[in-house]
Amino acid sequence: MRLNLFEDKSNIDEHVDLYFKEMNPVVRQIIDTVNAERPVLYGRAADEDLDDGDIILLDPKEIYYMDFVERRLFAYTKDGVFRVKSTLASCEEQLWNYGFVRVSKSNLINIYKIKQLKPDINMRIFALFDNDEKICINRNYRKKFHEYLIRMKGIVAD
Amino acid sequence: MVFVMKKKFGQFFMELCCSYTFVSVIGAVVNMIGGTETNNVNVIMMFVFCTIACIVLNLHKLFDYFSPLFMIVVQYVIATILVFGTAYMFGLISEEPLTRKNWYELFRSFTIPYFIGAGIYYYGIYAEAKVQSHMIKEIQMADEKGKSAG
Repeated sequence: MRLNLFEDKSNIDEHVDLYFKEMNPVVRQIIDTVNAERPVLYGRAADEDLDDGDIILLDPKEIYYMDFVERRLFAYTKDGVFRVKSTLASCEEQLWNYGFVRVSKSNLINIYKIKQLKPDINMRIFALFDNDEKICINRNYRKKFHEYLIRMKGIVAD
Repeated sequence: MVFVMKKKFGQFFMELCCSYTFVSVIGAVVNMIGGTETNNVNVIMMFVFCTIACIVLNLHKLFDYFSPLFMIVVQYVIATILVFGTAYMFGLISEEPLTRKNWYELFRSFTIPYFIGAGIYYYGIYAEAKVQSHMIKEIQMADEKGKSAG
Protein backbone atom coordinates (compact mmCIF):
# COMPACT_ATOMS: atom_id res chain seq x y z
CA MET A 1 0.00 0.00 0.00
CA ARG A 2 1.46 3.36 -1.00
CA LEU A 3 1.76 5.87 1.80
CA ASN A 4 1.91 9.63 1.22
CA LEU A 5 2.73 11.86 4.18
CA PHE A 6 2.32 15.61 4.04
CA GLU A 7 3.78 17.79 6.77
CA ASP A 8 2.24 21.26 6.91
CA LYS A 9 3.02 23.40 9.95
CA SER A 10 0.07 25.67 9.24
CA ASN A 11 -2.47 22.86 9.09
CA ILE A 12 -5.07 23.13 11.82
CA ASP A 13 -7.32 20.34 10.57
CA GLU A 14 -5.34 17.10 10.64
CA HIS A 15 -7.05 14.43 8.62
CA VAL A 16 -6.49 11.21 6.73
CA ASP A 17 -7.94 10.32 3.34
CA LEU A 18 -7.92 6.64 2.62
CA TYR A 19 -8.42 5.28 -0.88
CA PHE A 20 -9.09 1.59 -1.11
CA LYS A 21 -10.39 -0.84 -3.67
CA GLU A 22 -12.17 -3.06 -1.19
CA MET A 23 -12.58 -3.34 2.54
CA ASN A 24 -10.09 -5.77 3.99
CA PRO A 25 -8.54 -6.37 7.43
CA VAL A 26 -5.59 -4.04 6.73
CA VAL A 27 -7.91 -1.18 5.80
CA ARG A 28 -10.01 -1.88 8.86
CA GLN A 29 -6.92 -1.77 11.04
CA ILE A 30 -5.95 1.62 9.58
CA ILE A 31 -9.46 2.88 10.28
CA ASP A 32 -9.18 1.63 13.87
CA THR A 33 -5.86 3.41 14.26
CA VAL A 34 -7.22 6.70 12.94
CA ASN A 35 -10.25 6.38 15.17
CA ALA A 36 -7.86 5.75 18.06
CA GLU A 37 -9.43 2.34 18.50
CA ARG A 38 -6.30 0.43 17.69
CA PRO A 39 -5.68 -1.86 20.60
CA VAL A 40 -2.54 -1.14 22.49
CA LEU A 41 -0.98 -3.82 24.62
CA TYR A 42 1.68 -3.14 27.14
CA GLY A 43 3.79 -5.90 28.54
CA ARG A 44 6.81 -6.64 30.60
CA ALA A 45 9.21 -9.51 30.20
CA ALA A 46 7.61 -12.58 31.77
CA ASP A 47 10.46 -13.25 34.16
CA GLU A 48 10.20 -9.78 35.72
CA ASP A 49 7.77 -8.52 38.31
CA LEU A 50 4.77 -6.76 36.76
CA ASP A 51 5.57 -3.52 38.55
CA ASP A 52 9.28 -3.53 37.67
CA GLY A 53 11.21 -3.57 34.42
CA ASP A 54 10.71 -1.75 31.17
CA ILE A 55 7.28 -1.48 29.68
CA ILE A 56 7.21 -2.79 26.14
CA LEU A 57 4.60 -1.86 23.57
CA LEU A 58 3.36 -5.05 21.94
CA ASP A 59 2.16 -5.14 18.37
CA PRO A 60 -0.79 -7.55 18.17
CA LYS A 61 0.49 -8.74 14.80
CA GLU A 62 3.65 -10.01 16.45
CA ILE A 63 1.84 -12.10 19.04
CA TYR A 64 1.48 -15.81 18.34
CA TYR A 65 -0.89 -16.57 21.17
CA MET A 66 -1.93 -15.47 24.64
CA ASP A 67 -1.98 -17.76 27.62
CA PHE A 68 -3.78 -17.20 30.91
CA VAL A 69 -1.96 -19.07 33.68
CA GLU A 70 -2.52 -18.66 37.41
CA ARG A 71 -4.39 -15.39 36.95
CA ARG A 72 -1.62 -13.99 34.80
CA LEU A 73 -1.84 -13.24 31.12
CA PHE A 74 1.18 -13.91 28.91
CA ALA A 75 1.75 -12.96 25.29
CA TYR A 76 4.06 -15.18 23.24
CA THR A 77 6.01 -13.45 20.49
CA LYS A 78 9.05 -14.22 18.37
CA ASP A 79 11.16 -12.12 20.75
CA GLY A 80 9.99 -13.77 23.93
CA VAL A 81 7.21 -14.05 26.45
CA PHE A 82 5.62 -10.95 27.93
CA ARG A 83 3.28 -10.53 30.83
CA VAL A 84 0.32 -8.37 29.89
CA LYS A 85 -1.77 -6.39 32.36
CA SER A 86 -5.17 -7.21 30.92
CA THR A 87 -7.72 -9.97 30.89
CA LEU A 88 -8.20 -12.65 28.28
CA ALA A 89 -11.82 -11.60 27.74
CA SER A 90 -10.93 -7.97 27.04
CA CYS A 91 -8.10 -9.01 24.71
CA GLU A 92 -10.53 -11.27 22.88
CA GLU A 93 -12.91 -8.35 22.43
CA GLN A 94 -10.18 -5.91 21.40
CA LEU A 95 -8.22 -8.17 19.10
CA TRP A 96 -10.82 -10.19 17.19
CA ASN A 97 -10.26 -7.98 14.15
CA TYR A 98 -6.55 -8.77 14.29
CA GLY A 99 -7.05 -12.49 13.91
CA PHE A 100 -7.31 -13.41 17.57
CA VAL A 101 -9.78 -16.10 18.53
CA ARG A 102 -10.44 -18.00 21.73
CA VAL A 103 -9.67 -21.71 21.50
CA SER A 104 -9.85 -22.72 25.14
CA LYS A 105 -10.59 -21.25 28.55
CA SER A 106 -7.02 -19.98 28.79
CA ASN A 107 -5.82 -19.43 25.21
CA LEU A 108 -6.31 -16.82 22.55
CA ILE A 109 -4.51 -17.52 19.28
CA ASN A 110 -3.55 -15.40 16.30
CA ILE A 111 -4.74 -17.12 13.12
CA TYR A 112 -2.28 -15.10 11.02
CA LYS A 113 0.56 -16.90 12.79
CA ILE A 114 -0.79 -20.41 12.30
CA LYS A 115 1.26 -22.63 10.03
CA GLN A 116 -1.12 -25.56 10.08
CA LEU A 117 -3.96 -27.23 11.98
CA LYS A 118 -3.09 -30.78 12.84
CA PRO A 119 -5.20 -33.45 14.51
CA ASP A 120 -3.35 -36.01 16.61
CA ILE A 121 -4.02 -39.68 17.34
CA ASN A 122 -6.04 -38.69 20.42
CA MET A 123 -8.48 -36.79 18.16
CA ARG A 124 -7.32 -33.42 19.46
CA ILE A 125 -6.75 -30.59 17.00
CA PHE A 126 -3.60 -28.54 17.48
CA ALA A 127 -2.73 -25.18 15.94
CA LEU A 128 0.94 -25.24 14.92
CA PHE A 129 2.65 -21.86 14.80
CA ASP A 130 5.57 -20.46 12.80
CA ASN A 131 7.77 -20.80 15.89
CA ASP A 132 6.95 -24.55 16.09
CA GLU A 133 4.86 -24.17 19.23
CA LYS A 134 1.40 -25.69 19.35
CA ILE A 135 -1.87 -24.95 21.13
CA CYS A 136 -4.77 -27.35 21.48
CA ILE A 137 -8.15 -26.23 20.17
CA ASN A 138 -10.59 -27.28 22.84
CA ARG A 139 -13.54 -29.38 21.74
CA ASN A 140 -16.04 -26.91 23.21
CA TYR A 141 -14.54 -23.99 21.26
CA ARG A 142 -14.32 -25.78 17.91
CA LYS A 143 -17.70 -24.54 16.69
CA LYS A 144 -16.93 -20.94 17.66
CA PHE A 145 -13.51 -21.25 16.04
CA HIS A 146 -15.08 -22.44 12.79
CA GLU A 147 -17.66 -19.63 12.88
CA TYR A 148 -14.87 -17.12 13.46
CA LEU A 149 -12.97 -18.38 10.40
CA ILE A 150 -16.12 -18.08 8.28
CA ARG A 151 -16.63 -14.54 9.60
CA MET A 152 -13.03 -13.53 8.87
CA LYS A 153 -13.18 -15.12 5.44
CA GLY A 154 -16.35 -13.11 4.78
CA ILE A 155 -14.63 -9.86 5.80
CA VAL A 156 -11.66 -10.68 3.60
CA ALA A 157 -13.92 -11.52 0.66
CA ASP A 158 -15.87 -8.23 0.96
CA MET B 1 -32.86 -22.36 35.00
CA VAL B 2 -36.19 -24.07 34.23
CA PHE B 3 -35.96 -22.81 30.66
CA VAL B 4 -32.44 -24.23 30.26
CA MET B 5 -33.54 -27.57 31.72
CA LYS B 6 -36.54 -27.67 29.38
CA LYS B 7 -34.32 -26.89 26.42
CA LYS B 8 -31.79 -29.57 27.39
CA PHE B 9 -34.50 -32.13 27.96
CA GLY B 10 -36.05 -31.26 24.59
CA GLN B 11 -32.69 -31.68 22.90
CA PHE B 12 -32.10 -34.99 24.67
CA PHE B 13 -35.57 -36.22 23.69
CA MET B 14 -34.91 -35.28 20.08
CA GLU B 15 -31.58 -37.16 20.10
CA LEU B 16 -33.28 -40.18 21.64
CA CYS B 17 -36.08 -40.17 19.05
CA CYS B 18 -33.64 -39.87 16.16
CA SER B 19 -31.28 -42.57 17.42
CA TYR B 20 -34.12 -44.98 18.20
CA THR B 21 -35.69 -44.43 14.79
CA PHE B 22 -32.31 -44.95 13.13
CA VAL B 23 -31.58 -48.15 15.08
CA SER B 24 -35.12 -49.49 14.49
CA VAL B 25 -34.95 -48.94 10.75
CA ILE B 26 -31.46 -50.51 10.52
CA GLY B 27 -32.72 -53.44 12.64
CA ALA B 28 -35.78 -53.87 10.40
CA VAL B 29 -33.62 -53.84 7.25
CA VAL B 30 -31.23 -56.40 8.77
CA ASN B 31 -34.19 -58.60 9.74
CA MET B 32 -35.66 -58.35 6.24
CA ILE B 33 -32.35 -59.27 4.64
CA GLY B 34 -31.60 -62.07 7.11
CA GLY B 35 -35.18 -63.35 7.15
CA THR B 36 -35.30 -63.06 10.95
CA GLU B 37 -37.99 -61.62 13.20
CA THR B 38 -37.93 -59.55 16.33
CA ASN B 39 -40.23 -59.63 19.36
CA ASN B 40 -41.73 -57.11 21.79
CA VAL B 41 -38.99 -57.59 24.42
CA ASN B 42 -36.31 -56.85 21.81
CA VAL B 43 -38.10 -53.65 20.79
CA ILE B 44 -38.26 -52.45 24.41
CA MET B 45 -34.63 -53.48 25.00
CA MET B 46 -33.60 -51.52 21.91
CA PHE B 47 -35.33 -48.44 23.29
CA VAL B 48 -33.69 -48.88 26.71
CA PHE B 49 -30.24 -49.28 25.12
CA CYS B 50 -30.79 -46.19 22.99
CA THR B 51 -31.74 -44.25 26.15
CA ILE B 52 -28.57 -45.46 27.93
CA ALA B 53 -26.41 -44.57 24.92
CA CYS B 54 -27.93 -41.08 24.67
CA ILE B 55 -27.48 -40.41 28.40
CA VAL B 56 -23.86 -41.61 28.38
CA LEU B 57 -22.99 -39.68 25.21
CA ASN B 58 -24.51 -36.55 26.77
CA LEU B 59 -21.95 -36.80 29.57
CA HIS B 60 -19.24 -35.59 27.18
CA LYS B 61 -18.95 -32.25 28.98
CA LEU B 62 -17.48 -34.07 31.97
CA PHE B 63 -14.52 -35.05 29.79
CA ASP B 64 -13.55 -31.57 28.64
CA TYR B 65 -10.00 -31.86 29.86
CA PHE B 66 -9.38 -35.27 28.35
CA SER B 67 -8.72 -36.24 24.78
CA PRO B 68 -11.70 -37.29 22.61
CA LEU B 69 -10.19 -40.78 22.24
CA PHE B 70 -10.10 -41.21 26.01
CA MET B 71 -13.65 -39.86 26.21
CA ILE B 72 -14.89 -42.33 23.57
CA VAL B 73 -13.28 -45.31 25.34
CA VAL B 74 -14.55 -44.30 28.81
CA GLN B 75 -18.05 -43.65 27.48
CA TYR B 76 -17.99 -47.01 25.73
CA VAL B 77 -17.00 -48.79 28.95
CA ILE B 78 -19.72 -46.99 30.98
CA ALA B 79 -22.37 -47.64 28.32
CA THR B 80 -21.36 -51.32 28.02
CA ILE B 81 -21.57 -51.84 31.79
CA LEU B 82 -25.02 -50.19 31.89
CA VAL B 83 -26.30 -52.11 28.85
CA PHE B 84 -25.06 -55.45 30.18
CA GLY B 85 -26.42 -54.66 33.65
CA THR B 86 -29.83 -53.82 32.19
CA ALA B 87 -29.81 -56.99 30.09
CA TYR B 88 -28.93 -59.02 33.18
CA MET B 89 -31.83 -57.42 35.11
CA PHE B 90 -34.22 -58.18 32.23
CA GLY B 91 -32.98 -61.77 32.30
CA LEU B 92 -33.82 -62.01 36.00
CA ILE B 93 -37.27 -60.46 35.60
CA SER B 94 -38.21 -62.59 32.61
CA GLU B 95 -36.96 -65.72 34.42
CA GLU B 96 -35.23 -66.61 31.22
CA PRO B 97 -31.47 -66.22 31.69
CA LEU B 98 -29.49 -65.01 28.72
CA THR B 99 -27.48 -67.64 26.93
CA ARG B 100 -23.84 -67.24 25.97
CA LYS B 101 -24.89 -66.57 22.39
CA ASN B 102 -27.30 -63.85 23.58
CA TRP B 103 -24.48 -62.09 25.45
CA TYR B 104 -22.27 -62.29 22.39
CA GLU B 105 -25.02 -60.95 20.13
CA LEU B 106 -25.66 -58.14 22.60
CA PHE B 107 -21.97 -57.23 22.75
CA ARG B 108 -21.67 -57.31 18.96
CA SER B 109 -24.82 -55.32 18.23
CA PHE B 110 -23.79 -52.62 20.69
CA THR B 111 -20.06 -52.46 19.92
CA ILE B 112 -20.20 -52.38 16.13
CA PRO B 113 -22.54 -49.35 15.78
CA TYR B 114 -20.67 -47.57 18.57
CA PHE B 115 -17.30 -47.89 16.87
CA ILE B 116 -18.75 -47.07 13.45
CA GLY B 117 -20.01 -43.85 15.05
CA ALA B 118 -16.61 -43.25 16.66
CA GLY B 119 -14.92 -43.78 13.28
CA ILE B 120 -17.23 -41.25 11.63
CA TYR B 121 -16.46 -38.78 14.43
CA TYR B 122 -12.72 -39.44 14.00
CA TYR B 123 -12.92 -38.82 10.24
CA GLY B 124 -15.03 -35.69 10.90
CA ILE B 125 -12.24 -34.22 13.04
CA TYR B 126 -9.65 -34.79 10.32
CA ALA B 127 -11.91 -33.37 7.62
CA GLU B 128 -12.74 -30.33 9.75
CA ALA B 129 -9.06 -29.66 10.49
CA LYS B 130 -8.29 -29.84 6.78
CA VAL B 131 -11.10 -27.43 5.85
CA GLN B 132 -10.12 -24.99 8.62
CA SER B 133 -6.44 -25.14 7.62
CA HIS B 134 -7.46 -24.23 4.08
CA MET B 135 -9.62 -21.33 5.34
CA ILE B 136 -6.73 -20.00 7.45
CA LYS B 137 -4.41 -20.10 4.42
CA GLU B 138 -7.01 -18.18 2.37
CA ILE B 139 -7.37 -15.52 5.10
CA GLN B 140 -3.58 -15.21 5.42
CA MET B 141 -3.16 -14.89 1.65
CA ALA B 142 -5.87 -12.24 1.45
CA ASP B 143 -4.16 -10.36 4.27
CA GLU B 144 -0.81 -10.50 2.46
CA LYS B 145 -2.52 -9.36 -0.72
CA GLY B 146 -4.10 -6.46 1.17
CA LYS B 147 -0.73 -5.42 2.58
CA SER B 148 1.05 -5.50 -0.76
CA ALA B 149 -1.80 -3.92 -2.74
CA GLY B 150 -0.96 -0.59 -4.23
